[in-house]
Amino acid sequence: MRQDTFSTFHPVNNFLYFVLVIGCSMFLMHPVFLGLSCLGGMAYYIYLKHWKALKTALWLMLPVFLISAAVNPLFNHQGITLILYLKNGNPLTLESILYGLAAGVMLVSVLNWFSCYQVVMTSDKFIYLFGKAIPAVSLILSMVLRFVPRFKNQIEKISDSQKCIGRDVTNGNVLARAKHGMKILSVMTTWALENSVETADSMKSRGYGLRGRNNFSIYRFDTRDKLFLGILLLLGGNIFAGILTKRVHFLYYPMLRMNTNTLWAMLVYVCYGILCFLPIIIDVTEDIKWHYMKSKI
Amino acid sequence: MALYEIKNLNFTYPDTERPAIQNLNFSIEPGEFVVICGKSGCGKTTLLRHFKTVLSPYGKREGEILFEGEKLEEVSVRRQSAQIGYVLQSPDNQIVTDKVWHELAFGVENLGYDQQTIRLRVAEMASFFGIQNWFDKNVEELSGGQKQLLNLASVMAMQPKVLVLDEPTSQLDPIAAGEFLSTIRKINLDLGVTVILIEHRLEEVFPMADQVLVLEEGKQIYFDTPRMVGKDLADNDLFLAMPSPVQIYNGTGQEGVCPLTVCEGRNWLEQHYGSCKNMQHRECFRHRKQERDYVVEAKEVWFRYEKDGRDIVKDLSLQVPKGELFCILGGNGTGKSTTLSLLSGIHRPYRGKILLKGKEIRKIRDKELFHRFLGVLPQNPQTLFVGNTVEEDLWEMFSERSPIRRKEDREKIEKVVGDTQIGHLLHMHPYDLSGGEQQRAALAKVLLLEPEILLLDEPTKGLDGFYKSRLAEIFQKLKEQGITIVMVSHDIEFCAAYGDTCAMFFDGGIVTACAAKEFFTGNSFYTTAANRMARQIFPDAVTVKDVIEACQRSRQPE
Repeated sequence: MRQDTFSTFHPVNNFLYFVLVIGCSMFLMHPVFLGLSCLGGMAYYIYLKHWKALKTALWLMLPVFLISAAVNPLFNHQGITLILYLKNGNPLTLESILYGLAAGVMLVSVLNWFSCYQVVMTSDKFIYLFGKAIPAVSLILSMVLRFVPRFKNQIEKISDSQKCIGRDVTNGNVLARAKHGMKILSVMTTWALENSVETADSMKSRGYGLRGRNNFSIYRFDTRDKLFLGILLLLGGNIFAGILTKRVHFLYYPMLRMNTNTLWAMLVYVCYGILCFLPIIIDVTEDIKWHYMKSKI
Repeated sequence: MALYEIKNLNFTYPDTERPAIQNLNFSIEPGEFVVICGKSGCGKTTLLRHFKTVLSPYGKREGEILFEGEKLEEVSVRRQSAQIGYVLQSPDNQIVTDKVWHELAFGVENLGYDQQTIRLRVAEMASFFGIQNWFDKNVEELSGGQKQLLNLASVMAMQPKVLVLDEPTSQLDPIAAGEFLSTIRKINLDLGVTVILIEHRLEEVFPMADQVLVLEEGKQIYFDTPRMVGKDLADNDLFLAMPSPVQIYNGTGQEGVCPLTVCEGRNWLEQHYGSCKNMQHRECFRHRKQERDYVVEAKEVWFRYEKDGRDIVKDLSLQVPKGELFCILGGNGTGKSTTLSLLSGIHRPYRGKILLKGKEIRKIRDKELFHRFLGVLPQNPQTLFVGNTVEEDLWEMFSERSPIRRKEDREKIEKVVGDTQIGHLLHMHPYDLSGGEQQRAALAKVLLLEPEILLLDEPTKGLDGFYKSRLAEIFQKLKEQGITIVMVSHDIEFCAAYGDTCAMFFDGGIVTACAAKEFFTGNSFYTTAANRMARQIFPDAVTVKDVIEACQRSRQPE
């Protein structure tokens, strides 16, 4: 992953942004919105992951899009613009084909945004956000995240050792393998319990359980974050106002109908476009700033 | 006022007759560096746990412990948490959270300071310990030494008055251990924090200590300065654990002031034996060509874990003659353990050949390989155990063939148990054994495969001097039975004393391999403390015993 400026914003901002953009992408089936969201998500994912993003696009996104586009017209027969009758007598309509395509784009963009979410919202950010509400949960989550890789590591070690005496899951026939596997798992339980005693000692000794525990975090909500939150609220408010007042709307069934292109509608489109490309805009401005500074030095 | 005052302390665990500690009386002044030593099971850890109420074991206790003049039980938990810092043995088990920064803050969080204070404390500690470079990392990515340093830093963030450490370096390699101990020293000197330390690596901590407490079977036999203890301990079992200069000083009749470090030892030797230099010097030659029976052979072996990865083993060639204890020595991350995994067939080289008893390893079937052929003892012996008692674990080795316990199997087990001296441990859970006991029990399990070749990965890690000499006895017995032992180790002193051939491993290959004595006299840094101390006068002396004998011989004509 390259240095991504958007990730350095406060976790609250990161999280709110993803909630807003994924929510909009899921529920707004307006083709302009869909297009913007899809492009924005894809651009950001490519920015984060480079050519690896193309690989996922090819292997995951394309099939999802094709299946969704193909399935809808086969099973949904609403709409008035008839193209032809299928073999079983059901009609194939223009509206259902278009809706299928739209749903495909929607799925792809949501998938894209979730992939970005996974990269940006690391476990410690997540813990920080939800730990504020319930402090004990954040510590437990953090301990679990510590425990799982350790457990996996120890299984590997034990498995290697058992291999040395010919008693690993890869040695012997099927029955013997299963038996070896069970033995390893059972000893892992002992191991986990045994070690947790010392962990508990270490926690107690460092005063866990005293009254008034405070959660420390390395995040600070600075001016930049306030500005970002302001912009986010402004854009979100504008978009919702546009939708609620029906200045922007789109109908697929029974026939395609779209809002007229008033100045208002244009403004909402622009807002949505900025929203979807916000991380990219931030990242690229930062890159340009750096480039400029470097050339000055 | 003394920081700790221990008055007539007695402690007995429930359901046992013999007290674990008896009649302890001593006091620790602020800023002192106190080392506690004694054999495994002498009550060191039990004593250490009494220094903090939440960690005190259950049982019958008499006498009192005063912390800054107050009874320890009456000091509030909050004050104890902050002012008495504990670091335990295992680097891994003590870490609670998944991020380095979170772990650093854990103790201070518990004390309930506000964000600004925590931020400052964390920043201070990270800078003092040089953690800032891995501050954002996951704990899982750290090395053992870094983990232990993190534990120490996390405790130090609470600004304790006293640090209590229970064998903190037993799981670390010598370089990381040295770094850790010098950090402790720095804390003691620069911050004035009192240190109470259990340690079996006395070579390094003995010169640092202000006071040494020696325990034997729960009783306090000495509480004095290291020089005095070094002098008095001459005819005790614990003598084996003392630093080499102290052992040599005692072995030659205690002339002058007791030296503690190699440097002091050198001067001391120069002063008393300077006149009897004998400058014969043997060079380390490569193996002279001899027709011998080689059991393990590697021929120009290359290995890497991934196709695009770095070569871990490069052009490795070695030959191990039958019935020898072959030691592979070398620093951390040079590929020693990987080499062992190649020899045991877990990994395959991409170039070169490995022959076991003249047969190529990839042509040997699993069943043959693990039956009467090859035994491997992994670095962490605990990973071998799967049963609920040691005995069950030993029987497990036969469960494959038939579930019925046959008579000849019983005989085999009895023999192995006798060889490894674990008879008294058979009914215990393998996880409850101490490091040295686990090592031997695991060895017993491996020996049930009746191997002709034994591969050991750092068998002396975390063992004290007493257990090491026991392990050496076992090795001797095995060698007499014609078993070839290949071991990988950091432990120079052990290899020098007991190894037949030593090989220096560096950068993925073996640099030199020759008989132990020639090997160590040829090196000037990578050699035993005794040799480093005596090399200008007795260049051939490698072990403590050699130096003492050389001294005595040089005195005889007079």
